[in-house]
Amino acid sequence: MSYESPLRGNLVEGGKTYHDITLDITRPLENKASKGWWIGFSIASVFLALWISATTYTLLVGIGAWGLNKTVGWAFDITNFVFWIGIGHAGTLISAILLLFRQKWRMSINRSAEAMTIFAVLCAASFIVSHMGRPWVAYWPIPLPNAFGTLWVNFNSPLVWDVFAISTYFSVSLVFWYCGLIPDIATIRDRATTKLRKFWYGFFAMGWNGSSRTWHRYELVSLILAAISTPLVLSVHSIVSMDFATSLVPGWHTTIFPPYFVAGAIFSGFGMVLTLLVVGREVLGQKEYITEEHLDAMCRIVMLTGTMVGLAYITEFFIAAYSGVEYEQYAFLNRAFGPYWWAYWTMMTCNLLAPQIFWLKWARKTPWFIFMMSIVVNIGMWFERFVIIVTSLHRDFLPSSWVMYAPTIIEICILIGSFGLFFFFYFLFVRFLPTINMAEIKGIIKTKHSLELEKHYSELLTHGPAKANHSNDMKGESVHAN
Amino acid sequence: MENKNKYWRGLEELNNDAAFVAGKKNEFAEGIPLLEALNDDEGEFQSNRRDFLKYFGFSISAVALAACNQTPIKNVIPYVFKPENITPGNANWYASTCGACPTGCSILVKTREGRPIKIEGNSDSPVFKGGVCAKGHASLLGLYDNERLQAPKKDNNSSTWSEIDGEIAKALSSAKNIRIVHGTVNSPTTKKVLIDFAAKFPNSKTVNYEAVSYAALIEANKNAFGKAVVPSYNFANAKVIVSFAADFLGTWISPVEFAKAWVSKRKVSATNKEMSRHIQFESNLSMTGSNADVRYPIKPSMEGIILLNLYNKIAAKAGAPILPSVTNVEVVVNGIELTANELWNAKGNSLLISGSNNLDNQLLVAAINSMLGNFGTTVDLDNFSNQVSGDDSGFEKFVEEMESGAVDAVIFYNSNPAYSYYNSSRFANALKKVGTTITTNSSTDETGVFCKYQCPDNHYLESWNDAEPKLGYLGLTQPTITKVFDTRQAQESLLIWSGNNEEYYSYLKNNWSTMLGSSVDWNQCIHNGFIVLPSKSTSSNSFNANLSGVVAPITTSYTQSKDKLELKVYQKVSIGDGTHANNPWLQELPDPVSRTCWDNYLTIGKASADQLDLKDGDVVTVSSGKNKIENLPVMVQPGQANKTIGIALGYGRTNGGKVANGVGANAYTFTSFQNGTVSYMVADVSISKTGDGYKLAQTQTHHTIEGRNLIRDASLKEFQNDSKAGNHDSAHIISLWEEHDNKGHKWGMAIDMNACTGCGSCIVSCSAENNVPVVGRKEVIRSREMHWLRIDRYYTFKDTNTKASVSKEKEINADDNAIDFENVRVQFQPVMCQQCNHAPCETVCPVYATTHSSEGLNQMTYNRCIGTRYCANNCPYKVRRFNWFKLRDNDQFDFYMNNDLGRMVINPDVTVRSRGVMEKCTFCVQRIQAGKLKAKLENRTMVDGDVKTACQQSCPADAIVFGDLMDKDSEISKLYRNERSYVMLEEYNVQPSVYYMTKIRNTDETIAGTHKDAHKGGNEKHEEHKEEKEHAHS
Repeated sequence: MSYESPLRGNLVEGGKTYHDITLDITRPLENKASKGWWIGFSIASVFLALWISATTYTLLVGIGAWGLNKTVGWAFDITNFVFWIGIGHAGTLISAILLLFRQKWRMSINRSAEAMTIFAVLCAASFIVSHMGRPWVAYWPIPLPNAFGTLWVNFNSPLVWDVFAISTYFSVSLVFWYCGLIPDIATIRDRATTKLRKFWYGFFAMGWNGSSRTWHRYELVSLILAAISTPLVLSVHSIVSMDFATSLVPGWHTTIFPPYFVAGAIFSGFGMVLTLLVVGREVLGQKEYITEEHLDAMCRIVMLTGTMVGLAYITEFFIAAYSGVEYEQYAFLNRAFGPYWWAYWTMMTCNLLAPQIFWLKWARKTPWFIFMMSIVVNIGMWFERFVIIVTSLHRDFLPSSWVMYAPTIIEICILIGSFGLFFFFYFLFVRFLPTINMAEIKGIIKTKHSLELEKHYSELLTHGPAKANHSNDMKGESVHAN
Repeated sequence: MENKNKYWRGLEELNNDAAFVAGKKNEFAEGIPLLEALNDDEGEFQSNRRDFLKYFGFSISAVALAACNQTPIKNVIPYVFKPENITPGNANWYASTCGACPTGCSILVKTREGRPIKIEGNSDSPVFKGGVCAKGHASLLGLYDNERLQAPKKDNNSSTWSEIDGEIAKALSSAKNIRIVHGTVNSPTTKKVLIDFAAKFPNSKTVNYEAVSYAALIEANKNAFGKAVVPSYNFANAKVIVSFAADFLGTWISPVEFAKAWVSKRKVSATNKEMSRHIQFESNLSMTGSNADVRYPIKPSMEGIILLNLYNKIAAKAGAPILPSVTNVEVVVNGIELTANELWNAKGNSLLISGSNNLDNQLLVAAINSMLGNFGTTVDLDNFSNQVSGDDSGFEKFVEEMESGAVDAVIFYNSNPAYSYYNSSRFANALKKVGTTITTNSSTDETGVFCKYQCPDNHYLESWNDAEPKLGYLGLTQPTITKVFDTRQAQESLLIWSGNNEEYYSYLKNNWSTMLGSSVDWNQCIHNGFIVLPSKSTSSNSFNANLSGVVAPITTSYTQSKDKLELKVYQKVSIGDGTHANNPWLQELPDPVSRTCWDNYLTIGKASADQLDLKDGDVVTVSSGKNKIENLPVMVQPGQANKTIGIALGYGRTNGGKVANGVGANAYTFTSFQNGTVSYMVADVSISKTGDGYKLAQTQTHHTIEGRNLIRDASLKEFQNDSKAGNHDSAHIISLWEEHDNKGHKWGMAIDMNACTGCGSCIVSCSAENNVPVVGRKEVIRSREMHWLRIDRYYTFKDTNTKASVSKEKEINADDNAIDFENVRVQFQPVMCQQCNHAPCETVCPVYATTHSSEGLNQMTYNRCIGTRYCANNCPYKVRRFNWFKLRDNDQFDFYMNNDLGRMVINPDVTVRSRGVMEKCTFCVQRIQAGKLKAKLENRTMVDGDVKTACQQSCPADAIVFGDLMDKDSEISKLYRNERSYVMLEEYNVQPSVYYMTKIRNTDETIAGTHKDAHKGGNEKHEEHKEEKEHAHS
């Protein structure tokens, strides 16, 4: 039923058998944790502690702990929020859109990308709450029936749209990710040796028995969730961009924002996926599953989306000049040549110029280089949000209110700490759940058996039966027998 | 007409069923289950579904309500016997006289539940006309200062009045030489107390001491006219005003009175297109200089020589003898000529003043005014002013007496020489030789620490007193609260020590009946707060001083100081001479020009700063001889004359209190006693960099307007030709929104930028009215001041190459050698919430915490705010203020909101905001509500002027008008239709409710015209004249 590109090579290399796949993927979670995992997990925990303490301090004394002021009401907080929300987008794109487009290569990467999405949205949500002046009433923008009579939320406000967008995004992503995990959890359950593991994996496997009926439902649910998720890829970041686009601040008030933000989100998301997977495939021994072909494909997407955001940057400049609005014109000139010029040119370099290196095949095939580039992309995208938010606000209409913004140590700790929050969860994920969808990947490998059959028949066709007898010791394996 | 019943309720009625006839009697066909309800025995009770829902609903809400009650219960104790005039929730107003300084403005004090919470001008006063300055507003907070002395002290230990009185009486009776050192006394009854005291102790003398002295002005009038007084000035009669460094709108003599009068000649309209011309010669850029039409930056040492030349030019016209002088005075040769012509053309209606405390200068000023015939019209020596004083040589003699050990008892009243004397250590050492030292100052200040007896005076809001700021204008001060501490009025102390045990109240009352006769109704006087006596007719004043002596010293000081760096110490509008330095409202009030608060600093012009390699925030040591100030931050100040620097007085208090101590440096150290008066300038100072840096707390960090159309202006000439001059830009508006349906009222405001002087009185008034917290220096540096109302100040420079006006940072930086930083144009613009009708803040709030009222107000619901700050980001005017921290009950903000006494100043009608919520100007919505309520109680509709916002009420320049736009005849409606009115950012169509009115500058044409007539000079003059013209048109 599926079309296989004659050009594309094998999606899984090394002639893996079904059993090999099971062993390979479950190795990190069935053995004792490696030293590397412990080191990574400890570092993440330290940063998590930093995040907890800095956030707690803010909650105790007030937003005054940050460097914000009367003119710049958002800076690191919303920059981080948009950054993390953007990161999440690659996960949804890979699992939903690529599923609908039947891009089989997504199968080795979608699990970790989806996990990344969920943890990134958690980080983003933390900023929504902590940036509020009164976080203890953070639930007020949710349209709950309340004791205040007819008091309702303001549906005109993009922040209310955000509430819907992000909560939907988080719940759909979580369900999608979990549904995809069920067959794999069942596999681990079946392989479990201790009672405890059996119980917990059994609990989360929800009675999966591998029957064709369960498979049928699994496929159906995946497809439905993919269909639900697909618009979210576009809508969530569009809505986030409307926080800015619907305002009248010069530099924010721009109709190009929704597509430009979505492209930027995918760009940064793939940057983060690359960061995680280039290391992950090495450390977890999954090079045969996440091949250079995979990296190559992702690099192409990075290059494409990077160029798209670059185009958006230039378009903004043109529109500002063309509009004839002096405030718009000043806002963009100020971005590039004002006091925060360094942030702007960091953004330009990292997002528009740097990804162009991926025109070179070497660059797309060299893991260490890709890793470096993925970091560059993430730095660039963080600065993009910083540039949009801070340079637009700090000099707007009335020059009397123009000020400079500088973060405090607390804000820097929260930013660094949010990576701790992210990696803390990611390390737990790596330790307790399979990072590659075993069940799906088993459907796309060419097993030794089938390969040799192919070879056998082709030889048979060309040379006759006598020479085709050497490969007769193959064992049949079923997809979920293990 | 037999069959009336044409209509039936149904077939039943038509048929007249028996059942129907029976049922028709009842109103309800089925009857009411009343009996059932009344007789519901336990067993028979039948509840239906509806009952169940009712009970269920009731129980749930009852439980929910009970569960909500978590707030601790605080019992409020009601009055057992309610005071007759105090109704909780209703304000009582008392007419009084401001005691913040001896200017003696007539005020109204608003009290709630027996505590004063606001000071406002008394608009009935013909002199002060309802204006109050920032210091006056802020003096309220001094009442609730918990650092005031709470009881008398002896040797710095608590004591009692009876103990201390006995000792003092004994000490005084045995003393051979008693001195009372007092500041300016404007109270006739206090003067009588001093006379009585002198009668009791014949060996006592009074010594007048003023931190900022006007001795030369008094002395000059004595020499010239035989009248040792400070004259009254009538700016309302002056068509041409020439001021030599007199900051008469900010700090000089009687700023509120002068501002009211000055602005009466500055307000223009389509029907009145005349305005006065104001020329200012000065070295520091003062607030008054910022408002001048023409400003000449000069060195302080040049003041004399310019006056001398001015004298000669006018003498030539008047046919008087000319004094020998250096004629080629640099920079302003033409300026002198033009100024002389201006003055001469407005003969009799011109006014020349000088802020100098140099006798020679003041003599020349008196002589010129005399030649111009200004006495009797703009200068009045007969109805003189009691608002300032000075006797510098008298005080100098007193210090010498103390040093010689001749004085054995001294009483300080309302003076703090240990802080403000130029050589404070000399004064302190001299004071140590005095046996009995008594101070009546209300806190242990710099003088108090050296005094054996501290007998704290009441705050003026706790006192009875009178004042005669100007001859024939008598004000009364009445207490508005019982004494907060065990203090005693200084006058009463003096009476007791001189053996008179009469209460000061009855002493005062008796004195008034002696002064005014019994025909004057005392109660009426208290009610009004002032009484105006018929003014004295002006006598002829002939100038008969010999001016020959002034030439030599003036010429010498001019020629000697040519290339030297000169210092002029000045008073800031907020802190003044330093008396109120412990007042957090004043410390946080930014200087009108530098927009800097919580510090003094060295102001220096750009050219001099470049020469000395100084930039903003550098820390320097300033020295002159053996006087020096270490670690003073530098602020490069446009408009500062080259080769001059300025430092503000009033800072560097060591015993001022927790707010004042350690803020800035004491610049009194640079004052000196020269030729019989204290000089406030130093002819030769040197500056050395320490290499450190320091950040000044500025509420505005970008100083130019970037060529934006936010402030519109025109020259008077242009305005005379076209009332809409400068205001032709109007945007083509397309609206996406539906218009609001306003019912009843729609509030609007108009601000006349031609009137606004930038004084900042409105800022303090607003803070007091609306409980705006003080945040302190560090938070101001982080741009987090909470002021709901700010005054933006913009500089415009001129490019000397292109002759164009420059206001863009980029252009200024690109060519800063060509920019004339000395001649700067300054513009003030008060900005508060613009109450937009299409408010950008309203649409973005996720929880409807900021909404539009049916009266056109953009209102904030603090309790609903969750603090996303989106509204502030989306506010194009950046008027919203966020509570970054909990600013009350927080010892990190140790100003007044963290102690019980300080909190008594809080206006109970306005919510104190909590941490994490947004706040902003409300157009004083509590006053609007009060006005509506009042009208309703009086059963009438509201009339224009029923509601005045706090900023409007306090404005000494009447720049702010507020009112109802639905009333088409209201002043505000008329101003909305005025040709000069416009709104900021009109093209964004947020439809602000605050209109601004174009600034009209009386800059060029008259000078040019007269200049041509009196043509004497060459091309150079023409050049300058052309520049002037361009200046005005740009």
